[in-house]
Amino acid sequence: MNPIVKVSGLEKSFGDLQILNGIDIEVASGEVVAIIGPSGSGKTTVLRCLNLLERPDGGRIEVNGRVVCEEQPNGKVKFASKREIREIREELGMVFQRFNLFPHMTALQNIVEAPKAVKGVSRTDAEAKARELLDSVGLSHRADHYPLQMSGGQQQRVAIARSLAMDPAVMLFDEVTSAVDPELAGEILLVMKRLADEGMTMIVVTHEMGFAADVADRVLFMDHGAVVEQGPAQQVLGQPQHARTKAFLRAVLDRTPMDAVSEPPTDEAGSQPGEAGSQPVDATSPDATDTKVERLETELAQLRGELDVTRRQLEQKRDSRPWG
Amino acid sequence: MDWNFVREITPTILEGLSITLSLFLWSVLFSTIGGLILALMRLSGLAPLRWFSAFFGWLFRGIPLLLIMFYVFFALPEFGETWTLPPFRAAVVALSMWAAAYQSEAIRSGIISVDVGQFEAAEALGMSRFHYMRRIVLPQSVRIIVPPFTGNAINLMKQTSLATVITVPEMTLLAQRIISNEFKAVEPLFALAIIFLALTSVLVLAQIGLEHAFRLKT
Repeated sequence: MNPIVKVSGLEKSFGDLQILNGIDIEVASGEVVAIIGPSGSGKTTVLRCLNLLERPDGGRIEVNGRVVCEEQPNGKVKFASKREIREIREELGMVFQRFNLFPHMTALQNIVEAPKAVKGVSRTDAEAKARELLDSVGLSHRADHYPLQMSGGQQQRVAIARSLAMDPAVMLFDEVTSAVDPELAGEILLVMKRLADEGMTMIVVTHEMGFAADVADRVLFMDHGAVVEQGPAQQVLGQPQHARTKAFLRAVLDRTPMDAVSEPPTDEAGSQPGEAGSQPVDATSPDATDTKVERLETELAQLRGELDVTRRQLEQKRDSRPWG
Repeated sequence: MDWNFVREITPTILEGLSITLSLFLWSVLFSTIGGLILALMRLSGLAPLRWFSAFFGWLFRGIPLLLIMFYVFFALPEFGETWTLPPFRAAVVALSMWAAAYQSEAIRSGIISVDVGQFEAAEALGMSRFHYMRRIVLPQSVRIIVPPFTGNAINLMKQTSLATVITVPEMTLLAQRIISNEFKAVEPLFALAIIFLALTSVLVLAQIGLEHAFRLKT
């Protein structure tokens, strides 16, 4: 295995609070790694250290053969130069929990901006590619919409397209469904699943256990700034070895049944219905009636979601005033 | 009040309009550029730049504008010939420094109001600081900057009248001349007030237009 991402001994603290306690992670090219764990376990910080949105206090990171940062013998961390950091960031697409689309630009402009500015791609080429990407996330009809005119699920899909436009070698997903209404999470997860199927290397920080079970090659469980347990998804989620992993999974699964995720997008008229449909990966395995009730409830929630979106759009139209 | 007299003197006062306007326009231009530079310095990673900007703001917001004007016009020439400025230029310098101190705070407040996620998204995409400030952050901060910025500009418009004390022949000086020649104060001051109100009204309208232009599309 020739890892595309190599993290060793990664340490990070905020003030007195040690967030990362010597993390070692290796990700192979084409691998999909899901990082799960309780809030505050440091999983998001790991991701943010990879592209130096957070600067580690110790350890070493290597991405696609480039050294991002390296602890020197004297204990100080040496970082790549500004220019190198920008080049490394081109290789690492990042999708954020809260989308972070540029609100003053349309979906298309959001996607076109970085390739034009950073890679010097011509406007025509960048736009052609952006339209292709929008199409691939099922949003070609939203190209000229502004972020605030779209639902959370749509915004997040544009954000994924924006990252992909830079042709990254690795995609980082930071709890990308946590800020959207539950019934819209499925459309994001479906896009991610397709990306994984196409062979993209992905590191996914997530609370979506169904997605982790379904798509990830490997699952890492983090707690208190350390990797507690890792292995194939079925193993970590199905037969967790460590007591803390068991406790965490119990807490998560009691709240969200695993097969409630991975629904097809609501506004992508049956492009691939059921492709990512419910798969029986549930370790707690509720009986048949429960499953049916849950499925119907999910459908109901989805319909309610569509109704909500339509209603919100109508309200926005009604309320749009010059000073709005 | 003698309306005929008002009508008679208004053209005389308006002879100073072009000077009032050029005082205003030059100062708006310089104070906006200066304010932007000061705001970026204040947010810079380099401590000396931050200190300079903070010092500048502290100084020029803390001294009366009248004093700044006196200083530039009367005190600076004592440092030598090169520091001697004609009245108009001295007034522009004083107004620009004074207004730049205020505009830098208006601009800075707009920049720091932009969501930190915007900076992160831009950085994660590999954009340079210069690029994302110009294309991502500043366009979004304009929306926040416009109201305090126009407030400062309205203030600047009115404060051009202070240039009268260093003998710049703008409208206030002309009105004062009428008062001392004709021994009538009500009419010239009334006319002057109306003209200034008209000028500041234009700025208020400009603010409405700018806010509309930079509103977020929802």
